Amino acid sequence: MSLGGIIFGVGFFIITQAQTSGFEQFFIRTILGVNGMARVEDRYQSTMRSMEAEEGSNFRVSLEDSVKYISGVEYPEQIMDAIHRFPEVTATAPVIRGSAMLIANFKDQDCKPYGIDAEKHFQVSDLELQIIYGSIESFQKNPYGVLIGERLASRMNLMPNDSLLLQARGKSQRYRVAGIFETGIEQVDKERVYLHLSATRTLLQRPNGVSFIQINLDDPAKAPVFADRLGPVLSHSVMSWQRREKTWLQVFSVLRISSALTVSTIILISGLGMFNTLVMIIIDKTREIAILRSMGYTRSDITQIFMLQGILVLFGGVILGWAFAAASTYGLSKLPIRIRGIFATDSFVVNWDFSHYLWAAAIASIIVVIASYFPARRAARLEPGAVIRGSST
Amino acid sequence: MSIVLKTEKLNRFLGEGANRVHALRDVSLEAESGQTYAIVGHSGSGKSTLLYLLGLLDQPDSGTIEIAGKQTGKLSDDARTALRNESLGFVFQFHFLIKEFTALENITIPMRKLGRWKEREMNERGMSLLESVGLEDKARRLGNQLSGGEQQRVAIARALANEPAILLADEPTGNLDHKNADRVFDLLSAISHERGNAFIMVSHNPELAQRCDVVFPMEDGFLKA
Repeated sequence: MSLGGIIFGVGFFIITQAQTSGFEQFFIRTILGVNGMARVEDRYQSTMRSMEAEEGSNFRVSLEDSVKYISGVEYPEQIMDAIHRFPEVTATAPVIRGSAMLIANFKDQDCKPYGIDAEKHFQVSDLELQIIYGSIESFQKNPYGVLIGERLASRMNLMPNDSLLLQARGKSQRYRVAGIFETGIEQVDKERVYLHLSATRTLLQRPNGVSFIQINLDDPAKAPVFADRLGPVLSHSVMSWQRREKTWLQVFSVLRISSALTVSTIILISGLGMFNTLVMIIIDKTREIAILRSMGYTRSDITQIFMLQGILVLFGGVILGWAFAAASTYGLSKLPIRIRGIFATDSFVVNWDFSHYLWAAAIASIIVVIASYFPARRAARLEPGAVIRGSST
Repeated sequence: MSIVLKTEKLNRFLGEGANRVHALRDVSLEAESGQTYAIVGHSGSGKSTLLYLLGLLDQPDSGTIEIAGKQTGKLSDDARTALRNESLGFVFQFHFLIKEFTALENITIPMRKLGRWKEREMNERGMSLLESVGLEDKARRLGNQLSGGEQQRVAIARALANEPAILLADEPTGNLDHKNADRVFDLLSAISHERGNAFIMVSHNPELAQRCDVVFPMEDGFLKA
């Protein structure tokens, strides 16, 4: 029973961790593929005030009490040049963001035009891979081509090569659908339209500057430190993906910890079962323990014998639990499930990470060693003379 | 012949409070190698209590025990246990074999702890001991597949495994029929004379006791030399 408990406890621990971290990793890949690892957004200016230290005194104390934000990046080329001096930066891309009305097929719908430099943007996102209809080449060839989100296209009955009208600030411009993309993030797929940067400037009447610069790094984990360093250097607000997606990351983290705690109770119950079993064995084997002691086996020898029993169960349980987990995780990854909203997947997403296996083994080891140690110590404390004398009468 | 066991003024109290009994009173004795000794007396006379003290399975309240030239009074539990492994062999009324092990495996248990011999040597010694108790053909039988007499003979072989200086037996024939009792006693007596270890037996059986070289009668905790 204890062996079975350890097998299933270790197995379920790994399976739940593979699932939760699998979905988390997939979510991170998705949001990095859409919104990048960091963004340089608004420029800020510290507003300084000063006050007299004492009435009538010439001595003044400066107060840094607020920051004034100026929307967007005014000189994107200079800022991108500066960003590229950081060794961890692999690519940057300017983006103009705005609001517009999309009119097509006698329908209209609010949308968010994103003006991009296609070549540069493909280096800071997975947009190329997210095209499900049409082609990226036709977008690159046509200065009035647009890439439109799958949900928005569906709502407006638009397909590649269809014509549409974008209306902003009282001005309309006709475009042609070059491709339809699907990120899996509902908010993006139902409102985002990618245009060429120059076309967006015309549409939004913004001849200079950009809304933000999207940045790719050689390691996503470096983003928070990078953002903290870059912000003061550029006097622009720089946001890492970890800060931007803090809420979702916390949800995944809580889910992972919660499932680990829940499943660990199976191992804990197995440990209690093992404790009871060992106590019963010790009661049953009292005479044998006394005989071993009379033949010269020390208290620590007796402790080791019973600890060894626990460790054998642990060893078997962990190995079989790992095998069970690996087989189940593989099976689960083939299970069809359609998810859209924060990412797009048509099957369970799992993360193969050996650290899950090590954690499961570590938790099982702690519980089994504790569950074995106390009965083993009780066995070692038996006084052989009293036991043998009791058996002889 | 040399003295392998010596006690002086051993006293032992058993029980607590009103039930406290003075089980051993100033017991002094000596045992020599190659000699057989019987401790006889009625139930409650203190003979088993004395045997467990001699076997270092219990501690006296006062007095000294010297085994193979070593004073045992101030030894740690581990040191006493090591001395038990090396110098003492036990045969109890019940054989106390480990039933999941074969006869040969039971005999090698004390040898494994002593660590003096390699696996092959332990098996050879075990077979030799089984031969000396007439059970060489039952070496691979599990403990519970042997008769009562056979189990007790395996227990004797096990007690001799580490060539102890002293062989202690608590009613070794008490659980056997007359024929088997005779056979076991003869075996123990012959082995002790042959191997030169001191054999000390507690027994109710006066016939067997009279066949020992020395008899120590006990009464109310006193040993009458």
